[in-house]
Amino acid sequence: MWYRTFSQVKVNQNDEMIPEFMSQLLVLSCRDVARVVKDATALKTVCELLMAVPLVQVKAACDVEMKFDEKVISYFESCTSPVDKEGYLSKKGEIKTSYHKRWCVLKGNLLFYKDRPADRDLTGVIVLEGCTVQLCESEEQFAFSLVWSDPGLRTYKFAAEDQASQESWIKALLSANHNYLTLLVMDLEKKYRDALVEFPNEPTNPFTMPNFNTAEAFQGAQSSAVPSFPAAGVAAGAGLSSNQMLQAPTLSSRSANKRSPKLWPKRSANVVPVNTPAAAVGEWLGVCLSTKDEFIQLHEDFGKEVKELIADWSKRGRGEEAAGVENLIDFG
Amino acid sequence: MRFNEKELVSLSRQPSEMAAELGMRGPKKGDVVKKRLVKLVVNFLFYFRTDEEEPIGALLLEQCRVEREDSQSFSIAFLDEAERKYLFECDSEEQCGEWVDSIVKASYEFMRKNLIFYRTEIHRLTGKDPLEQYGISDETRFQVNNGLQLTPRDTCSL
Repeated sequence: MWYRTFSQVKVNQNDEMIPEFMSQLLVLSCRDVARVVKDATALKTVCELLMAVPLVQVKAACDVEMKFDEKVISYFESCTSPVDKEGYLSKKGEIKTSYHKRWCVLKGNLLFYKDRPADRDLTGVIVLEGCTVQLCESEEQFAFSLVWSDPGLRTYKFAAEDQASQESWIKALLSANHNYLTLLVMDLEKKYRDALVEFPNEPTNPFTMPNFNTAEAFQGAQSSAVPSFPAAGVAAGAGLSSNQMLQAPTLSSRSANKRSPKLWPKRSANVVPVNTPAAAVGEWLGVCLSTKDEFIQLHEDFGKEVKELIADWSKRGRGEEAAGVENLIDFG
Repeated sequence: MRFNEKELVSLSRQPSEMAAELGMRGPKKGDVVKKRLVKLVVNFLFYFRTDEEEPIGALLLEQCRVEREDSQSFSIAFLDEAERKYLFECDSEEQCGEWVDSIVKASYEFMRKNLIFYRTEIHRLTGKDPLEQYGISDETRFQVNNGLQLTPRDTCSL
């Protein structure tokens, strides 16, 4: 029976010890012989000599956990960022197999669980990447499970209170993964660009890059926590500060759309670099705005007459769709 | 606090476009810059000792402050605490910019804000709520905040 405490000792795939930064190693034999070993070579020697614990046991004793800042994770759970879903679920124990009622909070791709809603201490968190959500057989009703299919990875089982709750949780968990939201945003971005092309004369709202990286993260009370997407016609709010803001041309009223785009204020030079590597994650805003710029140019080249027609049309009041007005540009 | 470490390690093995050897300095006093393989996967930043398969640690990229420190380095801070500020040194200004950009765009908060913006604008321009076709327009996470109403397209200006 051997006891060991290690610091910074790891094992590789072959269960060989890879002592690193070993500061102190304390080895106690069943005869209470204590030795302090200060380096890798000495450790190996000691182990061999003592014919002590097989390396398998060494691994179990010195498994170094991946660093995961619990305070940061807890903060994310408790802060005012939006909760995607929360409620009681029965969760099958990870060691003991009975079900325990847990208060579960879903935020993004993290499922937190604790005993009661008001508890400050989290019992645990599940990162929801790489898993599927499935109905499952269970002694409990309204059960479902989170399944990781890779060998060695686990399955979490839950039971909801009723069918509605079960369906609602399954739906929420299925769409919790990062890829889902990424694809959804890309889809909407495309729809937005299409809408800009389709409705070119609508004044566009100034878009201000969300103030993601400064004070708002910590000062939930600050109203600029949500970027000020102003109601139509109002210039961007003043509450946003910080070094990475992108401002589209500001329009103060609907009539401004009759101004030549050339007169619009220049974009702020303080632009978040949009030179992301292509594909996968969007060049959302940059592409969006550059598309608009290109279109503005096109519109300007061909659109002077259109503007006059529109001015005329609005004087007459909006009549039937396209009554007497021909688009000079074929919008397809 | 329990967490599904094995599954997180498995996540760290997923392919990523943003993976590079950077200098990394931990947040504690006395930490020095060390060469680490830093890898961005979804909204997590994993860091490995070079040539090791399991990450030393994982940083959740939500509610954090990402800042350019100088032309080639950036920092990520959590909870506004100095003891939770990590420094990363890149090889070039361009690389540094790419990392800052990617990290910022990785968070759910960022994606959500974009989504709400597009939803609001598309609705304003077209009169249609784009999330309706997906049957998700009622989900709380996609609600427009601050009392903004989705205004139907005003056609009287045409």
